[in-house]
Amino acid sequence: MSSNKASRIGEEIWKTRIDKVNTELVTLTYGTIVVQLCKDYDNDYEEVNKQLDKMGYNIGLRLIEDYLAKSNTMKRCTSFRETADMIAKVGFKIFLNITPQVTNWTNDNNQFSLVFDENPFADFVELPDDGRAQDELWYSNILCGVLRGALEMVQMQVEAHFISDVLKGNDTTEMRVSLLRYIDDELPPEDD
Amino acid sequence: MSYYFAIVGTQDAPLFEYEFGTSKQGHDGLSRFSDQVRHLNQFILHSSLDIAEEVQWAHGSMYLKCIDKFFDNYISCFVTGANVKFLLLHHPLNNTGGSGSRSSTAIGANPTSPATEEAIKLFFQEVYENWVKAVMSPFYQNNMEVKSPVFRQRVAAAGRKYL
Amino acid sequence: MVVYSFYIFDRHTECIYARSWLPQSLSQHHSSAPLQPSTASDDAKLIFGTVFSLRNMVRKLGGEDDAFISYRTGNYKMHFYETPANLRFVMLTDTGTMSMRNVLHQIYINLWVEYVVKNPLAPVEHKNGAGVKNELFELGLDQFIRGLM
Repeated sequence: MSSNKASRIGEEIWKTRIDKVNTELVTLTYGTIVVQLCKDYDNDYEEVNKQLDKMGYNIGLRLIEDYLAKSNTMKRCTSFRETADMIAKVGFKIFLNITPQVTNWTNDNNQFSLVFDENPFADFVELPDDGRAQDELWYSNILCGVLRGALEMVQMQVEAHFISDVLKGNDTTEMRVSLLRYIDDELPPEDD
Repeated sequence: MSYYFAIVGTQDAPLFEYEFGTSKQGHDGLSRFSDQVRHLNQFILHSSLDIAEEVQWAHGSMYLKCIDKFFDNYISCFVTGANVKFLLLHHPLNNTGGSGSRSSTAIGANPTSPATEEAIKLFFQEVYENWVKAVMSPFYQNNMEVKSPVFRQRVAAAGRKYL
Repeated sequence: MVVYSFYIFDRHTECIYARSWLPQSLSQHHSSAPLQPSTASDDAKLIFGTVFSLRNMVRKLGGEDDAFISYRTGNYKMHFYETPANLRFVMLTDTGTMSMRNVLHQIYINLWVEYVVKNPLAPVEHKNGAGVKNELFELGLDQFIRGLM
């Protein structure tokens, strides 16, 4: 599927089939979760990243079904490049109304970056100036987990992590996604 | 014209302070408070809190205009819906030296004139908008001192723009 | 049109939901009876074995994107729909029924996703059918199927 078509689909679903919710509600809810995790784990940001990723993973496992239902997807993507386009232009579009850019492909087409020009999760956010959060906390790390969980359900094992974040003073917010392998169909247990 | 701006939380503790001077008519935006006056400013502002609390209920709006005067120090106040007070102490330049004739038309030369009131209102409004953004940060807790450099920059920008 | 039974299999090949509707004449008093437990699980296994083999054969012959939609015997017609997340919906009907692929797709979109996936208390993995048998899903399914008949 061409990436133009993906944009059109995303746009169409966003307009017709999505219940909208106030952005601030999302932003503040997500912010509260992150802050609570920071408290619960005593500002162990490594652990907070891990927990966010885990939460995202559990969301992704479910969210993929909603994505498939809303987008009326009947077929698998034919390539990882197509998958990337669908994630950016349909997935992110219908759930967050943003369209990150897909760039920085490796030659083997197994790794790409999502560059976020906007990120509703991070509106208003300023990381705490305790000298560590700026280096260690990946504020929107939940998104990595979401992708990992969602793609696992459609038989792609991926690894995703942020490599830059405007909250940390970087110029862009960029997530790196790598395809590790395609997961085989599970077979029914042998009857004895 | 020198300004001392403070944000006071609901527990009467200062959350933010910023001192600046006028940028209008070629001024450099630096305050001209002497060291002796400087720490008096805090007392003056603090003492006007009582008045602010009286006046805030009589007013329908958040902007309470000039609520207090202590010698040559005028205090304007803005109360947010969450009862956080923005206090601006403005101190007109002494009419000394060559700038006397010019500063007579400057904003704040007459601290209670409508033009000054309007300028301060605009300043407060812009600060308020940015204040809302600053306290929307999930890492900010109620009545916590605002240390955000971004917020400070924006207050400074608002000061430059209107005052 | 008569619907005999309906099955859902998850990506771990487990049957996570089974439901049968007895023919109208038999079901006047007890409208929908669950399958007998012993035979039901055997049936489910057989059915899964059948659709899984067929699906794989079809893919070998027609390419990865090909999917089989139904097959028919002298007694019944089996309809199959698989989502990209490897959730498989199977329905047995009488032989005269038209394609039920769209019906299965609707069940997935309007019932499965809405009432099972979006129920935050339902588990993600439906071991032994956990979380599938909730009132909204079952009621919705029953109404939907009866509406077709």
